[in-house]
Amino acid sequence: MNRHLNKLIANLTKQERERVDEAYRDAYDFDPADPLFGLSKDEISGPQLSRRSFLRLVAASGGSLSLSHVLGAAGIALPAAARVAAQTGGHLICGWAGTAEITTLDPAVINAVLQFQVASNVLSGLTHINADLVAEGDLATDWTVSDDGLVWTFNLREGVTWHNGDAFSAADVVYTYNRSKNPENSIHSGNLINVLDVVALDDFTVQLSLERPQASLLVKTLERSSGRAMTIVNGNAIESMGLQEYGLKPIGTGPFRVTEHQLGQGVVLERFDDYYDPARPVVDKVTIIPIPEIEPLAAAIETGDIHFIGGNAVAAELIDRFLANPDLVVDEIAGNGFQSVFVNPWREPMMVESFDPSVDELKQQNGFKVRLALAKAFDRERFIQRALFGRGVPGFGTINPAMGFYFDTAINETSEQRFDVEAAQALLAEAGYPNGEGFPTLKLLTTPAGRRAAEVMVDIYRNNLNIELELDVKDFTVLIEDAFRMEYDLMALGSGGDFDPDDGLVDWMQTTSRFNGPNRNDDDLVEIYGERPFGSFSDARVDALVDEQAVTADPEARKVLVQEANQITSDKVASIFTHHLTEILVHRAEVTVPPAGRIVGLRDLDRVYFN
Amino acid sequence: MRYFVARVIQALIVVWAVGTLVFFMLRAVPGDPIQALLADVDPTAADVIRAKLGLDQPVWVQYILWMRNTLAGDLGQSLYGSHQEVSQQIAEAIPRTVSLALVAFLISFTLGLTAGIVSAVKRDSIFDYGFNLAAFLGISMPSFWIGIVLIIVFAVNLRWFPSIGYKPMSAGLDQWLRYLILPGLAVGLPFSASIARLTRSAMLEVLGQDYITVARAKGLNEKRVIFRHALRNALIPVVTVMGISLALLFSGSVVVENVFAIKGLGRVLIQSILNRDYPVVQGSILLVAVLLVFMNLAVDMLYRLIDPRISYD
Repeated sequence: MNRHLNKLIANLTKQERERVDEAYRDAYDFDPADPLFGLSKDEISGPQLSRRSFLRLVAASGGSLSLSHVLGAAGIALPAAARVAAQTGGHLICGWAGTAEITTLDPAVINAVLQFQVASNVLSGLTHINADLVAEGDLATDWTVSDDGLVWTFNLREGVTWHNGDAFSAADVVYTYNRSKNPENSIHSGNLINVLDVVALDDFTVQLSLERPQASLLVKTLERSSGRAMTIVNGNAIESMGLQEYGLKPIGTGPFRVTEHQLGQGVVLERFDDYYDPARPVVDKVTIIPIPEIEPLAAAIETGDIHFIGGNAVAAELIDRFLANPDLVVDEIAGNGFQSVFVNPWREPMMVESFDPSVDELKQQNGFKVRLALAKAFDRERFIQRALFGRGVPGFGTINPAMGFYFDTAINETSEQRFDVEAAQALLAEAGYPNGEGFPTLKLLTTPAGRRAAEVMVDIYRNNLNIELELDVKDFTVLIEDAFRMEYDLMALGSGGDFDPDDGLVDWMQTTSRFNGPNRNDDDLVEIYGERPFGSFSDARVDALVDEQAVTADPEARKVLVQEANQITSDKVASIFTHHLTEILVHRAEVTVPPAGRIVGLRDLDRVYFN
Repeated sequence: MRYFVARVIQALIVVWAVGTLVFFMLRAVPGDPIQALLADVDPTAADVIRAKLGLDQPVWVQYILWMRNTLAGDLGQSLYGSHQEVSQQIAEAIPRTVSLALVAFLISFTLGLTAGIVSAVKRDSIFDYGFNLAAFLGISMPSFWIGIVLIIVFAVNLRWFPSIGYKPMSAGLDQWLRYLILPGLAVGLPFSASIARLTRSAMLEVLGQDYITVARAKGLNEKRVIFRHALRNALIPVVTVMGISLALLFSGSVVVENVFAIKGLGRVLIQSILNRDYPVVQGSILLVAVLLVFMNLAVDMLYRLIDPRISYD
């Protein structure tokens, strides 16, 4: 936590403490079944919410309230250094870890977190998640939804200017929708499958029609960074600049404009003086340099050649070294993804033809016994210590700790996958492999970057089950092809940038999920294996639960559905859920990232300032 | 002249063969660029994108199109991101690679030749042993490791040079050189070790020849004996190696470019191979093939300048 906040809390008077407690209590004091969360219609409507209403909505939507929110609501002024400081200016130099180039900034073709981390500083969306993963208005000031949840009307911010001087209007939102829904233009067209139409009611009002209600609309589809399908782009600029140039230097309405971008050498952003929030951005200029190698990245921040690290996760082996360096700040928070080992149900000895029977029924099958034995023998604590230097938390499902409200550690104790080496050995013996004897050597598919972690897995299984795994290290381009065709025994793969339960459940755990072996029935494979009705997992109850939670707006009710789906996927070993990475931000001590700018997975630089 | 023309034709055939081989090999190895592109998005869009990029055509059709465009000077567009022109990617990378290659070459040439000559002339002296040891170390240490050690010593501890990055010459000669010294040393030191070893053995062989004894017997100044009579004759194998080294340097120093975060040709090539970015791989390898083949040709032509006895007629 910010040291200025710590000092402030220590010095609160008794009355001030009581006001803080009252603000917390009030935020959560509502009936979950109440569609207005205990607020009046007037309190919810309008471009500005009262602090009380804001806290209530944050709490109701499942976000965790930050201390700075509550202090403000209790009428306690934050110290100057804890707010976005008045100190402005400066040139922030950032290293983007683990990448050789920032291939594109055009949201239509962005396919990596490290790209949208940059684009989020340049382009805007209708909404943007805050540090509590709650969607706030970005280009939209406020919105209303019809009683059936199918029609959303957004009022847009007036007076917003594009970086090229054009005026922003509803026509830009409609243009973005029309561009993004076409798969020839956008690789994210699938994210708009539930959006039937977007129309401009006037210059500053747009209306979205949905095929069915969608709980994740604000956080996933309309979010400016992670959604990408509705990150608002400028049609005139695309036409005049051409796609190549727009991909390098997109014209946006965000806090920074791109002034230079040479692939592989970096991106230069400069403060956009006409940004709709005059208090942001704080620094004048940002240079982002891609740094693919670990040691040079460390050297660059230690010498002060860079001030801030973004991009891919900082290598775990560097963290203790950074923590020992007084010139650096290391901020570790819950990460927003899940990591796992997928177990191919179409191959012996872990074959399962249907996951629909109950867990008890599945436990009668040898294939399931092997899957469960592998899951139960996986010592997550040991793995996290040895492979990640302690930078992670045990994982038992797709719902990650950053989701806060939806994440529940109870699953660590209730999951069939919980670590129990004796039970795992017994299951393996029952499946016909006492003490691992006769168990075939399985191949563990991983990428070069995952080799170290995979070696630790091999060692764990050798120790705990006396079985051998053979590493099958392939470039990501090859691995993903094998993954989609279900051509692996075991495969280490995970997800990142998951802000909403849909990101894990809809994308991975349903029969029709995009990552559920979509190419398993290619002609050549059908000749060998026959038609396969699903890829790595399928369960009718999970399919139904995931469909239902996707259209359930009430957070408490949605949480129940999400938890049940999460529990089933864990118990039935949809995959061996291994861990959730923690999210680590590293920057120089002369730079401050205020709490409001610390959004998991993102690197929004508009609030960052030099001390 | 006839020899030269024949060699140029040969060179062109080699370049075509390399290009063709790379084209078909790329499509034969596993890894689908479109699925990698769509890794975290919607795989159902794959067919649409594949068709848009022409990857749904039969391979031979793709080959004919690629040949036709290449002969017309169009190397195509990257399959990734903003679909930048391959020629533009290469054009942006070339100044960085050439800058790094020149600095590295200068370092390797100066150090290698000096160490080789001194070792040969002062055979079995402390200089000879010292340079030999240094050369063995230089050959044995991989350049990425040298790069990291240089960063730790000269950037992190002494703060003399920046740890990463590149500044073009337009930013000033001093800045250009400041950013290139460490990567230049990382690339140049192993090359200088090879050149030193080669120069030493070539010089020792030449210094034992009768005409050197005759030159000394005629009372020629030792400097003149070494630099005019011995070195010039010893240079032929050295020039061959240096020519190939220069061509290799111009093709990009993948590892060192990664360590110092410089996007040169090496990084373009390795990144495109990992992504299965066919047009960029094809374009880059074609350029590397042209460089190697024509650099070899240039070296062959250079022999004649060094040794007028060599004739190609």
